[in-house]
Amino acid sequence: MTLKEKIASRKFVVLGEFEPPKGADFSRLTKSANQVKGRLDALVVPEMANAVMKAGSLGGCAFLNAQGFETILQVCCRDRNRLALQADILSASALGISNLMAVSGEDIRFGDHPQAREVYDLDLMQLLEILSNFQGGRDMAGIELTGAPAFCIGSTVNAGAIGGALDIEIENLERMVEGGVQFAITTPVFDLHRFQQFMKRIDIEKVAIIPTVLLLKSAGMARYIDRNIKSVSIPSEMIREIQKAPDKLKQCIKTAAELITHLKEMGMAGVLISTVGWEDKLPQLLDAAKL
Amino acid sequence: MIVADKKPIEEIIDMVKGYHKILIVGCNECVTVCEAGGKKEVGVLASALRMYFMNEGEKIEVDEITLERQCDHEYLEEIRNSIDQYDAVVSLACGVGVQFMAEKYFGTPVYPGVNTCFMGVTEERGVWSERCQGCGQCILDKTAGICPISRCAKRLLNGPCGGSTQGKCEISKDLDCAWQLIIDRLKELDRLDEYEEIAPIKDWSTERAGGPRKVVREDVRQ
Repeated sequence: MTLKEKIASRKFVVLGEFEPPKGADFSRLTKSANQVKGRLDALVVPEMANAVMKAGSLGGCAFLNAQGFETILQVCCRDRNRLALQADILSASALGISNLMAVSGEDIRFGDHPQAREVYDLDLMQLLEILSNFQGGRDMAGIELTGAPAFCIGSTVNAGAIGGALDIEIENLERMVEGGVQFAITTPVFDLHRFQQFMKRIDIEKVAIIPTVLLLKSAGMARYIDRNIKSVSIPSEMIREIQKAPDKLKQCIKTAAELITHLKEMGMAGVLISTVGWEDKLPQLLDAAKL
Repeated sequence: MIVADKKPIEEIIDMVKGYHKILIVGCNECVTVCEAGGKKEVGVLASALRMYFMNEGEKIEVDEITLERQCDHEYLEEIRNSIDQYDAVVSLACGVGVQFMAEKYFGTPVYPGVNTCFMGVTEERGVWSERCQGCGQCILDKTAGICPISRCAKRLLNGPCGGSTQGKCEISKDLDCAWQLIIDRLKELDRLDEYEEIAPIKDWSTERAGGPRKVVREDVRQ
């Protein structure tokens, strides 16, 4: 069963995030992916997350696809104009990549090349329009393609938005769904009560919501995220438990595993596990979450 | 100066359709010089709108005013006492003036009456061309006073490219190759050896790519 079929039938999917390296040596990517072979439904390969230059999503997906992994390509508006985006999407299809996530991309100033010129020739909604045209066999200029690509299309949604920002987020999600988005991956979820409030606003028949479960590395990291990332809140009890635990790593894994279990019980369409460089801890986490 | 071009009248008609009383506001600065939004153009647009709506059998009152500038508080304040009489404003200033007007008169719809194009010069009456993109880090000292960012089609800092033929750019036989101009002027100034220096990779963070910009001068701030 492909990811597309699983998402369509709302079977609980388990996704893992695998960052390509900053360098030409992809061996660590292979090693960490092989450690969980057969246990994940697909591997999400970020496109220069946080605007930090590294090997791209297309390269990472093609590399992992060739080794038998199903992947999700990230297509990002920040660094490519309409020609490059269309070219990459066609290349991805030819390379056997069948899932993609359209994303805006973090601002270049947050990354390690703040002097670069960002592109944003197209915004997210316009990128989805291209994808829709593509599936109809035409490019953005209306010219017929030799072979139309077919993708399972996803995007992202900020589950931490509140008040007026949440209204806008929901409206944008609805527009994205009309634009062909089948699944939406959320910002990291820690506070299940807050997440439930968000989910009350979503029509899960129309779009599969896949929350991100971020594997914390320490109480310090949790505090930093809670204080500095507006869209994410971490319950203080959760932070305290990590802080007082004799084995901090074990507690971080336990926390993430419990979140996955709860989200599964809530009837979510799946989870994306993000380890931020700790891909080698994924087997332990999957064990703990009984996946 | 900021160069603007007239918007097609059909676009402006669509914007103001349904309003009963509108004010057309010109600007006495750049858009007057490039003949897109000064007192004369305000009068022409107002007449055209009156005529159009009269032919359509619709009643619309169109008033006219031209301010000294629309990018400064003091001049925009001149319409404060009369703004509430109008259902909408069409500003013939550049995009800067339109926005400043909209910021100041938050409850009044403000529509753009021109298309703002670039920072440029009057080559001759009726011909304006671009000279500056406001990249925030001027390199004209290195390029003989000719800007490759605004005048080279590819914005090359180390040109020319292979598309330069007999001094013209590949995108149009009417467009001078900026790098040919740079080389010619360096020769004239006996500074051609400077052409051998490779321009470093540009820091675009001072350009619009670095986000909306602001200049704060504490020495002149009140």
